[in-house]
Amino acid sequence: MAAAAVYGGFKGRKLGVEDAPELQLNRIRITLSSKNVKNLEKVCADLVKGAKDKQLRVKGPVRIPTKVLHITTRKSPCGEGTNTWDRFEFRIHKRVIDLISSPDVVKQITSITIEPGVEVEVTIADV
Amino acid sequence: MGGRGGGGGRKARNFATFRLFPRAGAADPNDRVFVRVDNNDYTVPGFADEDSFDSSLSDPSAGDGNFHSASGPLPEHVRREILELGLPDDGYNYLSHLRELRPAAAAASSFVPSSTARPEPLPLDVKAYDASRVRVGPSDGELDEGKTMCKVAAKTAPVRRIEKAVDPDVARLLDESDVSHVGSEDEGLEEDFVIIANRAEGEELEEEDIEEMEEWNGVLSDVEEEFDFEEDEPKPRVRRLLDEQFDLLALEEYGDSDDDDRVVKDGEYELPSEAIDELKLFQSQNVCVDEEYRTPADFVRQKQDSSTADDVDESARVIKKCAEYAERYLNESAEEEVVVLVSESSEESEIWDCETIVSTFSNLDNHPGKIETPGIPRKRLPRVFPGETTTTNDIIKLHGKEKLPVEYLPQRRRNGEKKKVKPVEASVTDKFKKGAENETKEEKKARKAAVKEEKKEARKAKKELKGLYKSETQKAQKVAAVTGPSSIRLI
Repeated sequence: MAAAAVYGGFKGRKLGVEDAPELQLNRIRITLSSKNVKNLEKVCADLVKGAKDKQLRVKGPVRIPTKVLHITTRKSPCGEGTNTWDRFEFRIHKRVIDLISSPDVVKQITSITIEPGVEVEVTIADV
Repeated sequence: MGGRGGGGGRKARNFATFRLFPRAGAADPNDRVFVRVDNNDYTVPGFADEDSFDSSLSDPSAGDGNFHSASGPLPEHVRREILELGLPDDGYNYLSHLRELRPAAAAASSFVPSSTARPEPLPLDVKAYDASRVRVGPSDGELDEGKTMCKVAAKTAPVRRIEKAVDPDVARLLDESDVSHVGSEDEGLEEDFVIIANRAEGEELEEEDIEEMEEWNGVLSDVEEEFDFEEDEPKPRVRRLLDEQFDLLALEEYGDSDDDDRVVKDGEYELPSEAIDELKLFQSQNVCVDEEYRTPADFVRQKQDSSTADDVDESARVIKKCAEYAERYLNESAEEEVVVLVSESSEESEIWDCETIVSTFSNLDNHPGKIETPGIPRKRLPRVFPGETTTTNDIIKLHGKEKLPVEYLPQRRRNGEKKKVKPVEASVTDKFKKGAENETKEEKKARKAAVKEEKKEARKAKKELKGLYKSETQKAQKVAAVTGPSSIRLI
């Protein structure tokens, strides 16, 4: 394991739990977006809980204002009749969770069951 | 912030962004991979470096398991796998299209036979037999096909329908119908029964045909007429109900309609009773045949023998009487005519229900006009042209934009306004005007206020009416849009 640490150039090395303090920490931003608030909140809660279990520094979930896309169309398939309009809307909810940890831990955390329809994006940067 | 030098103006992009995607070809939707979605140089060791097959996005320097799909020949183990699967070895990595069966996925998709499923039903032209009881073996040692077939047939039982019928009653009925069909085929009609029947008439009959024909007693009454029955024919064979029926029918159609008492007995006609009586009388009278010739007159008078003298007298008298009758008859026909009125109308009215003819004219040809109130006689041309009376000048004045000789035009009456049709009435209108001028201010005000009120009420009423009939107006507008000129606006 120490040898593995020396040959730091090895990209494919798998770091065990013992090497935890040696891992570099990154600032990780997880962005979750979904049409469905319930699922989204559930996933957020799971992620935060998972991160807290691993004693990571968590910030969030930050709720980004919902984007609403409006589609207003005529109800009629032809042009006849009173001009009635349908107002459809499409809501996108977004949550952001910030962590400070190593990427592996994040990978573990995000391997939990994610509800369908929730999009997960992870941005990793240096601390 | 362009002060930091041209090229390096941007902040250093020291981050990597990954997105979670479901693995391509994975059965489990929870099987996701992190895929890099940006182009920065920042590398993250230990993230998204797996031997996955969607290698184009992941870090090219990471791990052994990634290759570009287009890079050189495939590694040996990959090729071996492809060949094992039976796919062609043409340098393309078919494994990338494979679906992976995870253990969890396999467990989720294990086969559980359903209790409500039915086995596949047989096609319609196949019938299944249960041959479980057939003993097959070389016990008898006979290769006689007929016997083995019999044995097999004896032991096999028709399988009850493989598909379970929804309703047991229906299943029972269906099974029963199979059995009943077998027996009824013999009883059915042959296809050429007509030909057979016809042939049977001309030839010696066979017993089968008789039996067949006897069965159709009441059915083929309209076919009887087509058969050419001769009256001599029935005699050599047993007379049937059919023959009697035919005779009755023939009588009805072709016999005399006078005699209603005719009764058919065994093919011999019985004459009506009157004829029979007459014949009997004649016969009785003729029994005693004398040598002398007797005239009917003798019989009438019931003389057994007649002397010639009496005969002569009698005949003379008879002749005279005949002549008298003849004369009377002739005279009667000239004078008296007894007209017998047969009122048939009552009979006819019984048959017909109702017949009333009001007119033989039909609206198709005649277009009766609608009765209307006579309209106001409109004068298109004034009787007296104003131009004639005003001036005798030779000048014709033209007015208006179109430069028309206004005085000579036909004048129309507008609603509420009446133009001066005749100059004769000019004086009258002048007087009217002067009368109006004589009003006091208050009266004028009152009059104008009244007019205003009227108009206000009218406007209100119109609006109300308009709202009431808005839908009607819309419909009318639709119609007018199609039919009328485009400038019409009703709404």
